[in-house]
Amino acid sequence: MIESMFSLLIEKRDWFIDLLLQHIAISLVSIALAAIIGLALGIAIAQWRRGAKPVLALVNFIYTIPSIALFGFLIPLTGIGDLNAVTALTIYALLPMVRNTYTGLTAIDPAIIEAARGMGSTDRQTLYRIELPLAAPVIMSGIRNMATMTIALAGIASFIGAGGLGVAIYRGITTNNLAMTLAGSVLIAALAIVVDLLLGLAEKRARRHLEPSPSTVRAKKLRRGGRAVAAVAASVVLIAGGTFAYAKFAEDNGGGTIDIATKPMTEQYILSEMLKTLIEHDTDLSVQITQGIGGGTYNIHTGMERGDFDLYPEYTGTAWTTVLKREEFYDESMFDELRQAYEDRFGFEWICEYGFNNTFGIAVRKDVAERYGLHTYSDLAAVAPELTFGAQPDFYDREDGYPGLQATYGMDFGTTADMDISLKFQALFDGQVDAITMSTTDGQVTDERLVVLEDDRHFYPSYRCYDIVRRDTLEAHPELQDVLLKLDGAISDADMARMNGAVEMEGREPKDVADAFLSERGLV
Amino acid sequence: MPAIEFDHVVKRFGDAVALNDVSLSVDSGSFVTIIGSSGCGKTTLLKLANALVMPDEGQVLVHGSATTEADPIELRRTIGYVIQGSVLFPHLTVEQNIAYVPSLLNRRDQRRTESAVDKWIGLLGLPSNLRDRYPAELSGGQAQRVGIARALAASPDILLADEPFSAVDAITRASLQDEIKRIHNQTGVTTLFVTHDIDEALDLGEKVMVMEAGRVVQYASPHDVLANPASGFVERLVARKRSVYAR
Repeated sequence: MIESMFSLLIEKRDWFIDLLLQHIAISLVSIALAAIIGLALGIAIAQWRRGAKPVLALVNFIYTIPSIALFGFLIPLTGIGDLNAVTALTIYALLPMVRNTYTGLTAIDPAIIEAARGMGSTDRQTLYRIELPLAAPVIMSGIRNMATMTIALAGIASFIGAGGLGVAIYRGITTNNLAMTLAGSVLIAALAIVVDLLLGLAEKRARRHLEPSPSTVRAKKLRRGGRAVAAVAASVVLIAGGTFAYAKFAEDNGGGTIDIATKPMTEQYILSEMLKTLIEHDTDLSVQITQGIGGGTYNIHTGMERGDFDLYPEYTGTAWTTVLKREEFYDESMFDELRQAYEDRFGFEWICEYGFNNTFGIAVRKDVAERYGLHTYSDLAAVAPELTFGAQPDFYDREDGYPGLQATYGMDFGTTADMDISLKFQALFDGQVDAITMSTTDGQVTDERLVVLEDDRHFYPSYRCYDIVRRDTLEAHPELQDVLLKLDGAISDADMARMNGAVEMEGREPKDVADAFLSERGLV
Repeated sequence: MPAIEFDHVVKRFGDAVALNDVSLSVDSGSFVTIIGSSGCGKTTLLKLANALVMPDEGQVLVHGSATTEADPIELRRTIGYVIQGSVLFPHLTVEQNIAYVPSLLNRRDQRRTESAVDKWIGLLGLPSNLRDRYPAELSGGQAQRVGIARALAASPDILLADEPFSAVDAITRASLQDEIKRIHNQTGVTTLFVTHDIDEALDLGEKVMVMEAGRVVQYASPHDVLANPASGFVERLVARKRSVYAR
């Protein structure tokens, strides 16, 4: 595993370096912002003590919001991507900054402050020359804490479409590539350690009067050294911020770029790579893919409405229930209504039906199927109270998910577990769960260790895959429509399952699989 | 003109009266010690002189102008201030501590600051290898000397000292007392020196101010205080001292 991680790191070093730089930019910008805002807030409440309680309570409260939820709350305000990540990370990092600044300032012996005032210091001089330097050790340890935390948390930011090493982790998880997940995690840990060591040096400097060393390499030299460290740190942050801003600008400028979003699914990674290759091959447009947006449909739809994305692959049944919030179960006779509603309400077009139906299924472990003689959902419902069921978290909320199964089949499992889409199969084979949801295009559908049960009451609706495209994008780039239609009807359930399997079980790159399919069909 | 004048000064903290109708004047160049039990208002009296505390009634005049009229920052920069336990700035070296007030005054003129530091390190007999030490590395007596040097570095003409020697051992205290007397003789800085030690008050002061419950009960030369105690409180305060002298 370690070996394959290193060979992956070497093989894809440009990609990893790119992700590492993005990670550094996102976290350093957040750290710098939080340091400035947190310091100012901490100073303000140390002066105006009556504000301390409410301000501390507020930052404390924000700190307890689960990160995924906060990223989600911010989507309507900041859209999806780096701005969202920087905003959320900055907000989280405020607590350690504000609290340590406040604690550091209020813990100073009042006699020292009175001495400073009694000698004729202005309030500003007292703050800059006496209070802040004395609070510096506590503030520095806050910065150190906050920096490590932010670097780690920035990994999660990739789940909602930001860049950084989390992209590698999430991609590794969703495509069953553990070496990639490990590589991303190790790089994040290494980055956190390096930053912590650097800040540790700065902290030591801030504490030097508390633990004076007998050696006489003293104040003046150290002061100069400190200034150099501060200058280097400031320029690193500025350069990182600048590059980051420039990259964002370069990315967003001009209408020549098509932004494609994908859900965190292997299948969508492959489809997006096909679209990118086709579009860039046939037109002058360039394609920017934001892979694996956590929260799937909800968050991508919001991003589409804001214009963050131009198109993404979506499934008819999902759009019907999740976006249009329709109660009745979808079948393809309702497609015209669905298409019309999207046009009227959002200005989005449904074009290019890929040809496969990624509907849900339920799979049980082979030994479980044999022990209870399971063939259909009705069979499973009869023994469900004795079994454990695993599904991705949103399955339990969706009308076309667990609540529907309960209503239709009376299927009530003894235990249910939340798990990420791509961890389910491993959990099933390991015996942690007995039954899982799966989809008809899963690469693992053909695995011998599982049995797919029959939906005997036709509970599951149809989920045919299409591209959803913003109308104004199609108007701005009319050439796009013909390119997209090249894939119309091109991919069957079996094709999709085979390609998913190639990525998830053979460890091939989504892009390789996509390009191989395109050339196999003579599309490029 | 007297250096400091208190004119019917009343100061309250909540319901407690810290100073009750105090009127007196301190001559320029004199050394006045202030003694009294804890909470009698000694420290408040001192802080009125450098505008850390403002009077509720009456006024405090420094060089003839009221503290309520003056810019408190400017005023404080012309008055040296030494506090109990010295309270050096722990994050600054000895040199930086002494240079603190001069550096507030002459920001541009570093040389003037440096020469002031040199002068006071010499005057207080501090070994020059202490310059780059932090307060945590100093002995109590050294810290106290640095505290005095810091208060005097900007050459103020008034020095306020609030029990500066209360935290050092008897031997160090004796030498510090000699030191401050010598410096007073050399510079002629008007000194207000708060203490709770009657020996110190009588030895150092050209005049002794005895305070009791917010009032000045006697303000006279040490000889007068010993010879003619103004109240039972002063009597008790000096009784032991007198028996020592009588022996």
